[in-house]
Parts: sequence; structure tokens; C-alpha cells
Amino acid sequence: MNIIVNGEDLEAREGQTILQVARENGVFIPALCFHEKVGVAGRCRACLVEVEGMKGLQTSCSVPVKNGMTVRTRTPVVLEAQKLVIDLLLSTGTHDCLSCEKNGGCELQNAAYYLGIERPSISLPALAPSLDGTSAFVSVDRNKCIQCGRCVRGCQNSVVNNVLDFGYRGQHTGIIFDDDAPMGTSTCVQCGECVQMCPVGALTEKKALGKARRWETRVVRTTCPYCGVGCQLDVHVKGEDVVRVTGTEDGSPNRGSLCVKGRFGYDFMYSEDRLTTPLIRENGELRKASWDEALDLVAAKFKKIIAESGPDAIGGVSCARSTNEDSYSMQKLFRAVLKTNNIDHCART
Amino acid sequence: MSTPEKSASRCWMAAKPPSPKLLGILAEGQWAKDLRGVKLDTRLSALRRENVDRPTVFVGTGTCGLGAGAAKTMAAIRGYLAAHKIEGDVVEVGCVGICSEEPIMDVQLPGRARVSFARVEEGKVAQILDAALSGAPPLDACLGQMRTPGAAPWEGVPLLEDHPFLAPQVRLVLRNSGIIDPTSIDEYIAWGGYSALIETLRNKTPDEVCDEVLASGLRGRGGGGFPTGRKWKFARAAKAPQKYLICNADEGDPGAFMDRAVCESDPHRLIEGIVLASYGIGASKSYIYIRAEYPLGVRQLELAMAQAKAYGFLGKNILDSGFDLDIVIKMGAGAFVCGEETALIHSIEGKRGMPRPRPPFPANEGLFGKPSIINNVETLANLPAVMSMGAQAFAAFGTAGSKGTKVFALSGMVSRTGLVEIPMGTSIRDIVFKIGGGAPGGRKCKAVQIGGPSGGCIPEPQMDLPTDYEEIKKFGAIMGSGGLVVMDEGTCMVDLAKFFMEFIQSESCGKCIPCREGTKRMLEILDSMTHNRRLENEEDTLLRFQGVMELERLANVIKDSSLCGLGQTAPNPVLATLKWFRNEYEAHVYDRTCPAGACKELVGAPCESGCPVGTEVWHYVALVARGEHQEAYRIIRQANPLPSACARVCNHPCEKSCRCGATGGDPIAIRTLKRFVVDHVDPVAFKVDVKPAGPKAKRVAVVGAGPAGLTAAHCLSVKGHRVTLLEKECKAGGMLVCAIPEYRLPRAVLEKEIAALLNENTELKLNTALGKDFTVDSLFEQGYDAVFLATGSHNSKRLGVPGEDAKGVMAGVEFLKSYNLRHEELGRGRVGIVGGGNAAIDAARVAMRQAAVTHVTVYYRRTEAEMPAYREEIDAARQEGIEIVELVTPVAVVEKGGVVRGLRLLRNELGAADASGRRSPVPVQGTQFEVQLDMLVAAISEEPSTDGLADLALSKWGSLRTNSESHITSRPGVFGGGDVVRGPNTVIDAISDGKNAAEMIDRYLTGKNMKRITRVKLPTVYVEPMPGEESDQTPGRAAAPHLPVEKRAKSFAEVELALAEASAQCEARRCLRCDLDFTQPL
Repeated sequence: MNIIVNGEDLEAREGQTILQVARENGVFIPALCFHEKVGVAGRCRACLVEVEGMKGLQTSCSVPVKNGMTVRTRTPVVLEAQKLVIDLLLSTGTHDCLSCEKNGGCELQNAAYYLGIERPSISLPALAPSLDGTSAFVSVDRNKCIQCGRCVRGCQNSVVNNVLDFGYRGQHTGIIFDDDAPMGTSTCVQCGECVQMCPVGALTEKKALGKARRWETRVVRTTCPYCGVGCQLDVHVKGEDVVRVTGTEDGSPNRGSLCVKGRFGYDFMYSEDRLTTPLIRENGELRKASWDEALDLVAAKFKKIIAESGPDAIGGVSCARSTNEDSYSMQKLFRAVLKTNNIDHCART
Repeated sequence: MSTPEKSASRCWMAAKPPSPKLLGILAEGQWAKDLRGVKLDTRLSALRRENVDRPTVFVGTGTCGLGAGAAKTMAAIRGYLAAHKIEGDVVEVGCVGICSEEPIMDVQLPGRARVSFARVEEGKVAQILDAALSGAPPLDACLGQMRTPGAAPWEGVPLLEDHPFLAPQVRLVLRNSGIIDPTSIDEYIAWGGYSALIETLRNKTPDEVCDEVLASGLRGRGGGGFPTGRKWKFARAAKAPQKYLICNADEGDPGAFMDRAVCESDPHRLIEGIVLASYGIGASKSYIYIRAEYPLGVRQLELAMAQAKAYGFLGKNILDSGFDLDIVIKMGAGAFVCGEETALIHSIEGKRGMPRPRPPFPANEGLFGKPSIINNVETLANLPAVMSMGAQAFAAFGTAGSKGTKVFALSGMVSRTGLVEIPMGTSIRDIVFKIGGGAPGGRKCKAVQIGGPSGGCIPEPQMDLPTDYEEIKKFGAIMGSGGLVVMDEGTCMVDLAKFFMEFIQSESCGKCIPCREGTKRMLEILDSMTHNRRLENEEDTLLRFQGVMELERLANVIKDSSLCGLGQTAPNPVLATLKWFRNEYEAHVYDRTCPAGACKELVGAPCESGCPVGTEVWHYVALVARGEHQEAYRIIRQANPLPSACARVCNHPCEKSCRCGATGGDPIAIRTLKRFVVDHVDPVAFKVDVKPAGPKAKRVAVVGAGPAGLTAAHCLSVKGHRVTLLEKECKAGGMLVCAIPEYRLPRAVLEKEIAALLNENTELKLNTALGKDFTVDSLFEQGYDAVFLATGSHNSKRLGVPGEDAKGVMAGVEFLKSYNLRHEELGRGRVGIVGGGNAAIDAARVAMRQAAVTHVTVYYRRTEAEMPAYREEIDAARQEGIEIVELVTPVAVVEKGGVVRGLRLLRNELGAADASGRRSPVPVQGTQFEVQLDMLVAAISEEPSTDGLADLALSKWGSLRTNSESHITSRPGVFGGGDVVRGPNTVIDAISDGKNAAEMIDRYLTGKNMKRITRVKLPTVYVEPMPGEESDQTPGRAAAPHLPVEKRAKSFAEVELALAEASAQCEARRCLRCDLDFTQPL
């Protein structure tokens, strides 16, 4: 089917919303609370559009398309409403972009840019800082929170941890952890789903703080080495350094979700304690050896054991920190070469 | 609008007998046992209390009754019955709806009709029961008696259904409220309850039920007004194994309480409605979502559900129909937004109560994802009526698009408050004025707020709007759930908007940004308008000036962009008040004043701001409470040079703005307190510093030595100008001496006061008339630098009827002057006075005191209630034997030989309201009659005395035209004030003009800017309250003692006397001390 957006015919599929069709076709509509993973909320009211035949303004995130539907996204009424929404959000928080981690990747900033808002028209007294740095990996700045609710829905519906929720009413509404505990003492497991969902700089990765601007990094997609689930990761790299890890949103099996290890446990890459050469224990002491020497030693011992006691006298355990490809090769080695099924992996599922 | 089945003035329709089928089923159970040996008819009649076999006392113990003290009343009744060893029953009933008359007690004696008593506080129980049980109910406490078939009515007691509050009502939903015992299912059945249910379950399919409801035209009573039958059909059509019916009893609008009344007073009606609705849509489970703040409602519903279950009206296989229904009560935590259906659903599901976008609509995907119908209590409570009377009969009530009745919760500044059920189409005006009795205390009704915070306001001139969904919507308001809050002239519309914004923004769920943050911004702007400037910084000033425009912008976008109904309608209070009362906003923003006197920081103490001369009323009242009379006098005199006169004749606008009075009580008797003070302090005790007039002093001529002239002369002389007061009459004082009789203002007092005002800079010339002895030109020629014209309004208006020039016909002011100035007693025999103002009453009372007068009659064209004369004057006149004939218009003076012999009059009736808000009299042809008179005084009105002012610009009604700020006339150097500018007006306004004009003349003479800058004067002096000032002891308003009537006859001795010291202190201590909001102990 087709819908007409701002006079242009766009192809649409049954079940899509106006916003989805617009996004697929590169028509920008500011939308802050909608996220593919957690669906429609209708909270932020930034995605208002005019739909012919419907009374008043409609949230494009929630209205399903119908064939021939005529939508206008840039009429004065629409822009006025969108501007007020963004204006109110900008003026009621402390949205300082200069050193914000989200600068360049902030959806509020994008909306303000689209609407041409230089600075909020309403001037209000400065807010007292409201930083929660109590947790291990997540920095919470409530003054930057726009209460879009994506983190709440991510926590409740996607990872089902039910730690985050909304607390209080009206203008005092805000996100809370458990019964408004600091994040660090709450039951949060630091999976970082909320950080992944946050469209602004309210929830950010502590470890990435000050490491790189968004445009300085390149994204390398890879598979999480921690366990057998095979989560897809986007590794953000500046130069040779990993500055941040996010879940790949359009990839199975995790669709953006990660566990605390996958998202934040990447320090080992740069650990001073990592082995750089094989070690051989002699008289209770480990000494450095060459690969050839080490492999020869292992091969000789395996052969000896197989000859004496058969292949099942040997067992192998593969480490989760090795890549899946390594683990695959490892089991191939044990089954096909050494002829034993005694092979296991520390994160066997 | 038609009202079939409703014979004249019957708000209760006759009870329908219970369905025989229902009784048949019930006879197999508990009823059969009860009926053994008793005839069914007797049982039913006993349940309907058509007769009682021993004295029965009913007490309204709804929440409203309990709030008014019904529990104490009940205890007193029980105590009384026990003490007098009377075998009687005490029955708790719900609320009959007349909340302002609570606690209400009904008494029914065997064989007699049930009679209701109003305001039966515990202390009154014994007295009323004594009288009622002895067969003579006290008529003044009676609300009325109920039509009780077979019982003897009480002589002289009006029918309850004729009570002005009830007479225009048609009670379908409130049929049983306040009549039956809500804890008795049997009584409900005896009044016809549950009969509709059995008839429906036996004879109708669910589809037929939906059709019937659709045909009845019933629409959602919760506010939306969506056709109920149509909504049901959506759910009926939805295919799902489970459907729900939800009853929305989360009544959250401020000022709405009809749902509570139904739950408390007639819970079975709601249960029956829920079963009917559930059957219609095919729901097997139903929820009642009720706010936890309604504990009594919850209790009554729980009890009713248990009873209904025991009788087989709930649970499995209801009345053998195969239909099952369970009801669950879910208590809400009191969030306003949970009245919104999707938020309500979330709340029942155990989630945070926040709305979600629709579609999907709950009728398709609602509670737990299943098709659900949400109906308001009132909608559901209508269903038994719809199903029993049939769609057609139901639809006969109301208008083309709005059928049936609507319950309104009438509250605010209205004489009678409570629950009102009227046929749709009744005008708002009828509800407010006919049923509610208008604003109390003679105040003017300003507007009503309809539909709570989401609704809008309807200004008084627009109140003929009918209660019809479409009409109200077209007007820009909504019917809403039925809150109707009446506002009088003491309500500030900016303050009102602020109240609602405060409510909305604190009740906003916080989900969507426009409502969450936008309403807060609007509140901040409103706040900035109502804040005093002294606390303001530059940014605040900018915000305030941008305010009105910014408010409108915000309001419109919030309306367009919010998620749910709460947010979309949140700006309505602001938009509506801006639309109708924009001038009030502008007064707040630009003039920094609050016309209604409600915004504290712009008003200071209301009494002070209500006084035209800005007397620190709160200050001297507090000093009277402390017994510091000298200081109190100083405070009064500081603002007002004529305190002794004002203490007697002022119309005391301060009392009108007194907070004590604005909140339903009586205002402080301020004038009476002032009288107490001036009687205790000699005016000469107050010393004024008079600046000596140097050789270069400016000279001012003040024309007219009335209150305006005296005040101006005094104020100018104090500033060192030389003032000459020129007075036409032989005495100074203007109307104070010409018109106001001695028995109101003793001459010795007045003369002393005037003498104290004159000093070495003033010169008084009597018997010197403008236009005769001098002109404005001649004054300037004589070297005066400025002239102040205050010649007053002394020319009486003529009646304009034939025979007016006959001998014995006099103008009011002339008649008064002849006695007051010259002691001529012109009255004789039968004296007729035409008019209703103070001059008319003064003339009547003066005539009555003259030796040759035998009768005095006042003829007035409207009714006594509309007379402009002060109430106390009218009362005193009546006491003195003066007759008042209302609703007449003179058509001719009857004369014989050029001498008056009588007056020919026509009778009037009251027509439509005129510009002053009073209903104008319309003469009725053919009602002419004649009265015999020996003298006629025409005191209908006075006109400005403008002799010798021909060169100056006059207004079209003949008054002197001046600039309202500078008091300057069309000629430079010539100023004007008092009645010559205003037309006949009050003393205090004249004094105010004199003060302001003196200030402007001084500025003119010294070459200063003549623009007046209004500054709010806030109390600055802390006066320590007396201990016990805020005790619970609240004696009524003190009334000044009066000379006994027998001593007044033919005597001009002063009638009103000063309060005794103790009463004055007691009265002063009633003061709420609004000043303490602004002052701090040192």
C-alpha cells in the first residue's frame, strides 16, 4: 500500500505505523519515546503529525497506516506543537551538550536541530545537580532525563529485571530504581539495557566517560566471547582502543540486550596479566617457552596417554574468553583428531 | 423539554410496585418466612414506610450529613428516646441532596406523614423532638413533609417536593436517596428495585438490551457523553471468551460528589445497573473502581453486594437465567488521572495509573487485554430506570440530543448547595437561581464552573445555556461529570484559573510532556501575575507582561498535543477565563490590582482594599480588640477626615470584602465598631500638622461643602494652600446635613466634626451659590489658582406623570432640606413617598416623625429585596409603622383644585434582568388603582447640580465630566469630584474623590506629574493578636443596639446606639486578621 507524506507517495506495509514508514523512507519526524524494541508509548508527543480525516494532531508512532492515508509532518500547527514539546524538555532540564557523552548521538539534540531551536525560550532557575554515580558501570544524571520511559520499558519488558520504574507524579515524575534507591544499592544487575535505550545523556556508560566523541569512533561488529549465546556486539573503537560496547540492535539473538559482562567486562583485553608466550612448568616453576616447544610437549604427552589408557583418558575444557571459533576448533580437535567426546566449555548452556 | 409523568411540582414519581415475578421468586426464600401470617401488600407498604407502628426518626448519615454533625445528632436522638422511654426507631438514611441543610432529620409518627427538619445539630434535637412528638412540628425548622399515601398530612407544613430546591427536579437516579435505608435490600425492592432486572433477564436478549439503551438516548454521564448503547455494541460485537464491565466511581473533579451519593445512599441501584449492563455486553466479571476516600460508599456497596448475592441477583445463574456475574471492588488511591479509562485499567491491573494512546479502545482491548466497557456510576444508576420505564418514556425527558436527567453537584457561592437532578435542557440559570437560590448575602453571581478542571466557566449573562451536551460543547465548556461551582463577585478568575492549574499540574500523571511541564509553566505565569511587585525581579516583570500571550500559546499547544483527556482539557480553565474575563487578567498584569479582591498579594487586607479611602480597617479593629481606642481613632482619622459621619451612614464596602463574610459567615460589623470608636474619642483629640500658608501660598476655591468639598479643602489646607469653601446652603455638610436626618446623624456630632476640619488656612463662606453669587470665571479673576467643583446631586428627578405640579407634591431632597435645614414640618395626614433609595426611606421616616402626619406609605416599582436603600433602614422604617407597597408604578397624581388628593398606580411584575442585574418591573395593564394622599414626595432619584457649569463638558446624563485619574475637567485648573461627577452616590466615595482631587490639585499647583500610580498597600504594622482570638467560640455578628420603637415616635433622637465595650471587643476578636499574612512580630 501507499501513504502520502508531505505530498510524496511512500510505500508502506500493513501493520506499520506512520513513524515506521517515515523512517524507512528517510522522512525525519522527531520521536523520543518510541523504540522498535519496546514499542509505542505515546509519551513524548514529539512525533505529532496531521493526518487527513483525523481530528487534532496524531502521534505518528501509534497510528497504523491505511492505504492512501495523507500525512503532513511540517505544517505550522505541527511544528508549533513539536517546538513547544522540545522547548519544554530543553528548558526543564540541564541539557548542556558541550561535554555530554551523548553529544552527536542524542535524539533530543537531533530534534532541536531539526526544529531549529537554538536555546529554550523559557528561562528557568538552574537545577541543582542530580547525579547518581553509586553503581559500578552506569552514570545517572536525572537533570538530563526526559522521562521518555524507554529505560523503564527496557528494564521491565525486555530484560524483565523490573528495577526501573516511574516514581512520583506530575512535574516531579522521574525514573526510580526499586523504591527510589540509589542505583548502586538497588537490585540492579547492571546489564545496561537502560543505557542502551536512553535517547539522551541521562544514562551513560561510566567507563566511556571522556574517552571519545561519537564521531571519533568507528563501530566494529562482533560476537560476545563470554558465553555460548553468541550475543552480537558493536564495539566502538577510537584508534586502537575500545571505548564502549553496545548491543547490536538489528541482530539476533540479543537484539541490543547484553549482560553486565558482555557490555562492561572488556577490560581484560588490556590486562597486563595476559599471557604472551606459552609457559612450561618444570620442577614446580613456570618458564617461558616457544610455541613449537610447548606444542611438541603437549602432543607428546597426549600420544603417551592415549597409547597407555585410550583417548577417553583425555578431556578438554575450552575457555569462554576465547572466541567461538577457537572453541569450535577445540572440540573438532578433541572429537575428530583425539577421538574423544570429553570436551566441554565453561559456559556450556 | 417535556416532563411527562411529572404532575406539577413533583420531583419524586410515584413508586412502582415490585414485579410479581420477582416477588414470586423471593417468596421461596427468606421472604416467605417473613411473610407467614402477613399479607404481601402490608409488608411492602411497611417497607415503603407508608405507615409506621411506632415513632421513627430518620437521620441523613451520608458523608455530607456526617460532616455536618449527623453522628452527634444521632447520638442525641438515641439519648432522647432513651431518656424519655420512647419506643421508637432510628433509621440511618442517605443524602436527600440538600447539603446546605444538613444534618437533616425526619420524623414519622404512626398514621402521620414523614416530615423533614433542617440543620438539626445535636443541641436542637431535644427541642425539635419535643415539639414534633407532641404533634406540633416547629415550622421554622421544617424543610417540608413527604407525600405519604394513607397517612394524615401535617397542617401548615409545606410539601417537601415543593421546596424550591426540590420542586424543579426530576429524580430518577436519586429516586431513593435520603428516603430509604441504604442497608436494606428489602426496602429497595419494595420501592420497585430489581424488578427491571428480572423483567430484562426473563424477557430480553442481551442484544435487545443494547438496542433499548441505544434507543433511550442515554449518554455517558462521566463527562464524555458518548452514547452508552453504541459503546456497548462495540463490546458486544468483540469476540472474546472474557469481557469486563467496569464501573468508574473514581470521582475526582473538585466539586463533584454525585457518585458518592449514589454509592452511599442507594447502592442497590448501582448494583442493579451493573448487572443489567454486564448482561447487555456479555461480561461475567465486573469491577467497581472506587476511590479509597469513599469508605462509607465502599462499605455500603460491599453490604449491598452480599445482600444481592444472598437474594440471587449476583453470582452464578442469576435469577435462573443462566447468566453469571461477579463484582469485585477495587479501591483507587485517589489519583485524578485514574478516572481516565485507560489509566483506570492500568490501575486495576496493578500498574501505575497512566493513560495510553487509543486506539485500541477498551471496548476491543481493555482490562487484561479483553474487551471492557467502562461506565460511570450515574450512567449505570440510570439503567434500572431506563429498563423499567422503557426507552421511549426515558427519552421523553430532555432535549433532542441529550436524553433523561443529569445530576449536578451544586456548590460554591450559592445559597442552597447539594445534589440536583434535573431533566436535560434545564438552563444553568434555573439551577443556580431557582434551585440554588443565587449567591448568598445579596452578592452578585459572577459565573459557574461546569465540569471541574476540564470544563469551562459560564459567565452570569450567558447562564441561559441549556444543560445539553452539544449546546455546552458549542459554548466551549463540557457537561463533565456534573460539578457546578458557583462563583460570586468575590471570586477572582485569575485565582480560579490558578487553583485549577495547581490541581491539574499536581495531578498530572507525568507521562506526557505538555501536561507534565506545560501546566507547570502555566501555573508559574499565573503565579507571577498574582505576586506583589516588591518581590519581583526584572525577569519576573518580563514574564508577567509576556504572561497573557504566552499563556494562550501554551494553552493551545497543550490542548493539541497532550496524550489523554486530562491533559487535553487541562488548559480549559485558563482559556475559558481568558475568553470571558480577560479584563481581570489585564487588571492583574498592568494595573497590579485584583478587582475581586481575592489575590492576597495584590490586595493586602481585603477590608483595607475595599475601602475607597484605604482605611486600615484591620488595624483599628485589632486595636479595638486590645482596648486601645485612642490609637484606633488615630488610624481611622488618618485615612478619613469624617469618621463620625461615616461611622453612622457609610455603606461600608469594607464589610462586603471582609473574608469573614466571603466564606459563608457574617462579615465583621466594621461600621458598628467604628461607631464604638468615634463615640469614645473626641475628634479634637486628633491633632493634624497644618503647614502654615506662606505669602506665596496658592489659593484654591472649593465649591460645595459636602463630604467631597470638606475633605478636599481640609487636605489642601494641611498642605499649606489657602482654601475658600463656598457653600450654597446655610450650613456646611452637603447631603450629610441636607438629606440625612438627625436621628441617623445627630447635628451636634456633625458640626463638631466639620469644625475640627477647618483651620487657619481655610475660610468657609455660606449662602454663596455658584451661578448666582459667583462664577468659575469670577473665581479665577479673584486670583484663585485652582477650583474644585463638588456641588453634589441635589436636583430631584421628576416623576413625569400628569398632576405632578399640584400643591402638596414635593421633591424628596427638597422635603428633607425643608426640615433638616429649616425645621419646617411640611408633612400632613397621609404621606405617600415614591422611590426605594435611601432618600425615599429617609423622607418616609422624617415624615413619620412630623406632628401632623398620620400615615406614611412608600411606593416602589420593584420588590423590597431590590430596594437600593440600606437593609437596616428599611427594617427600621417598617418598625416605625411605615408601610411599603412594592411592584407599583405611579401613572398620575390625583388632584382637586390644584391640591394633591391621591395617587393612581399600576401594578408591576418583574421581567428580564436589566444591566444592573436586577429584574426590571413591567407594568400590568388593567391593574390600575388609586390611593388617597394628603402629600406626595417624589424621591426616585437625584441629578447632578450643574448650575453655573454650562461652560464645562458634561456627560450625556448631565454630570460633570472629569478625567478619572486627575479629576481635571475640560478646563485647566478646574477639578471636580463627588456626586456632581458620579451622580447620587455614597459618602465614602465622595470623601475618596475629595482626597484624590486634593492630591491632584496639589500636584497641579506644584507642577508635578498628574498620573496616578496604583500601588498595593500591604499591611506593615504588626499588631499582636489577643490571646484567644482564634478560639472555637464563634459568637454571631454583633448588632448595634437601637432606640426602642416607642421612644422613636415623633422624636429625632439618634436611633442607632454604640456597642458596649465588651460586645465591641468580642466582635473585634472575630476578625480573621488577614493582615497577619504580611506582618511579623518585631
